[in-house]
Amino acid sequence: MKTKSKSHGAMPVRIGMAFVIPALILFSVFIVYPLTTALGYSFFSWKGTLRGDFIGLENYVTIFTKPPFDEALPNAFSHNLLLFAGAMVFQNSIGLLLAVTLHKIGRLKRLFQTMFTLPYLVSPLVVGYLWSLMLSPLFGPVNATLKAIGLEELALPWLGDPTTAIWAIVFITAWQWIGFPMLLYGAALGGIPEEVTEAAEIDGANGVKKFRLITLPLLLPALGTVTILTFIGAMEAFPIPYAVGGSTGSPAGATDVMALLFYRTAFESGDIGSIGTSSALAMLLFLFIFGVAVVLRTSLARAERKIYG
Amino acid sequence: MRKRLSALGLVGVAALVLTGCAPAAQETTETADTQTSATAEAVDPVTLTMWSWRTEDVEKYNTIFDVYEAANPGVTVEFEAFLNTEYNQLLATGLEGSDGPDLAMVRAYGGVQALIEAGQLMAIDGVVDTGSVEQSLLAAATGRTDGSLYGVPFATQTLQVFYNKEIFDELGLSEPTTWDEFTALNEAISAGGYTPLALGAKDSWMLPIFHEIVGAARYGGPEFRDGLLAGTTDFNDPDYVASIQIVNDMTKYMVDDVIGVSYADSQIQFTAGTAAQYPGGSFELGSFTDSGLDLGVYLVPTPPNSVSTKPISAGWADGSFAVNKTTENEDAALDLMNWLASPEFGQLFVDEVKQFSAIKGLTYSDPVMKEMDELFASGPTAYINLVDMRYGEPVGSTLIGEGIQSMFLGDMSATEVATKLQDGIATWFTPGA
Repeated sequence: MKTKSKSHGAMPVRIGMAFVIPALILFSVFIVYPLTTALGYSFFSWKGTLRGDFIGLENYVTIFTKPPFDEALPNAFSHNLLLFAGAMVFQNSIGLLLAVTLHKIGRLKRLFQTMFTLPYLVSPLVVGYLWSLMLSPLFGPVNATLKAIGLEELALPWLGDPTTAIWAIVFITAWQWIGFPMLLYGAALGGIPEEVTEAAEIDGANGVKKFRLITLPLLLPALGTVTILTFIGAMEAFPIPYAVGGSTGSPAGATDVMALLFYRTAFESGDIGSIGTSSALAMLLFLFIFGVAVVLRTSLARAERKIYG
Repeated sequence: MRKRLSALGLVGVAALVLTGCAPAAQETTETADTQTSATAEAVDPVTLTMWSWRTEDVEKYNTIFDVYEAANPGVTVEFEAFLNTEYNQLLATGLEGSDGPDLAMVRAYGGVQALIEAGQLMAIDGVVDTGSVEQSLLAAATGRTDGSLYGVPFATQTLQVFYNKEIFDELGLSEPTTWDEFTALNEAISAGGYTPLALGAKDSWMLPIFHEIVGAARYGGPEFRDGLLAGTTDFNDPDYVASIQIVNDMTKYMVDDVIGVSYADSQIQFTAGTAAQYPGGSFELGSFTDSGLDLGVYLVPTPPNSVSTKPISAGWADGSFAVNKTTENEDAALDLMNWLASPEFGQLFVDEVKQFSAIKGLTYSDPVMKEMDELFASGPTAYINLVDMRYGEPVGSTLIGEGIQSMFLGDMSATEVATKLQDGIATWFTPGA
């Protein structure tokens, strides 16, 4: 056995294990253990930190049927979906556009890549607070500029109006993360062999056709990765909504998201049984993210197999 | 994959925090009454630890406890403060284990019930003399199900209108004593080029506070509260609805788009001198004083058709001192609790920490604090949505805060806000219970 693995140049199992074990321990202690504990907690009634009786799925029934969850849960969840849709439409399409443009210009590519990626390095909480200052109707430069150039009717209370507040969060998130799809798409574009595009040109394909028939299909793996990561990011959004609308998702719950609902339930609730309900919420969110991510990944793999054979 | 891990991580971390709260959860009730051999410790040197979320006050509390230590040889009080936002979890965990404090600051009203229900705090009825404490504030540390007292309230907050004396002098204005004068005052400030009222309506927690400041006299303050708790009235009461309508009527004295103004922005409005008045809590006093403002305070005069005949100032207890049920130094801890409930401590607290104490009959050397104390004494009431409506989910202050935001946006009437509040709290609140 030993000689065989050596002859293949592979690492002996024992040494391999030695490399894996530290990560495995950390993963178990900080992720698997808390996750299973939270799962356990969600099946019990609680009085503060005192665990009561096993109540089966009652906490799950509560978060779907009882106030404030019966209204807050669908409201928050719909905002998560909107954040995802908004990010897909704006953040990722503009990211792709930037990547294609930068791929073409060649010169100054690095400079622009760095510039677009910089906000990504700042804490999202800081980004959220900065933008809430920028969008302040009293002191914010955004409305001051709009007024100065005669666009007074556009100087809205961006974060105070429910119709604009959630879109402001979509925008702020996109502003921060735009560099991420851009980099991923950029790398994928760099990986498309020139011979393929040249062959298409010889066959008479114009710019649009080339992009639609060559570039886009070959970008599919990157597109899939970006989609899955965007989905996870949108579902677990917390720092930017928290910085912009506070823990209650101001104004009037218009920027509430699942993580904020969890935060309020776990840490700001007047209900002494909140460990049970908040654990149920956390499990629900986890299962949804996990489930959809797995489905997306599988269907993507299938699509890739179709293209690449 | 990294991102997927971090998704797991979010839930994981959230769960981890919860895990931290609750190891060995069912053991606490049994260790409760082991307190027999504590008497011998009075002669031995004792070190009492006290946990707190007031990281900014550590030096001040050390000075205060130096006085106690000097009078009680052999007793050392160690005051340890933790980050405010993480304190609840730290304390719940600390009280579960063996390395918890002897005494701790605990949150007030609904915020302390989880610790009481989990059997982590010692009942102090009849053991600690709370005769010097403002009796209405004891509810802050009272168990909702058993009615026992579990702590001594230490700080209180009161609500009133702060104003910039320089702007008042410049415009030749004075504190209003009638509703007409209050309206005329706001008109005059507006005409003088200043914003009459600074309010951070984007932060929903500020709105029920504003409602109490302008509306408490209209709905009747303490009388309404008595009826509400007894079940003879509820939030749909026409007087309560009218008090919410007053909040809406006041928007004409605020900046346009006030719904987009954050709490921090509203403070800047006032401290930078663009707004003449700030309806707020005593917790603002420190930052307003630090900004060098010449401050005045008054209570909003009674609106027309008010239930109350005099202006009202709403207040509440901010937190309490409590004893860990599993402390090994029970006698020394209770001795200290008795001192924390005494006027001597109250005066030291006022002088050193510069907040309002829950102890009656103290002297305030700061003129603004003195006036605020007198204003509160002249017409005290409880901030109902915090004091009484935070024992279940949804909490009263969140319901009315979000409701007022919807009202400002034109999506709800005052009646609908009141109904939202009543329906929300009715899911867990039973009058007369």
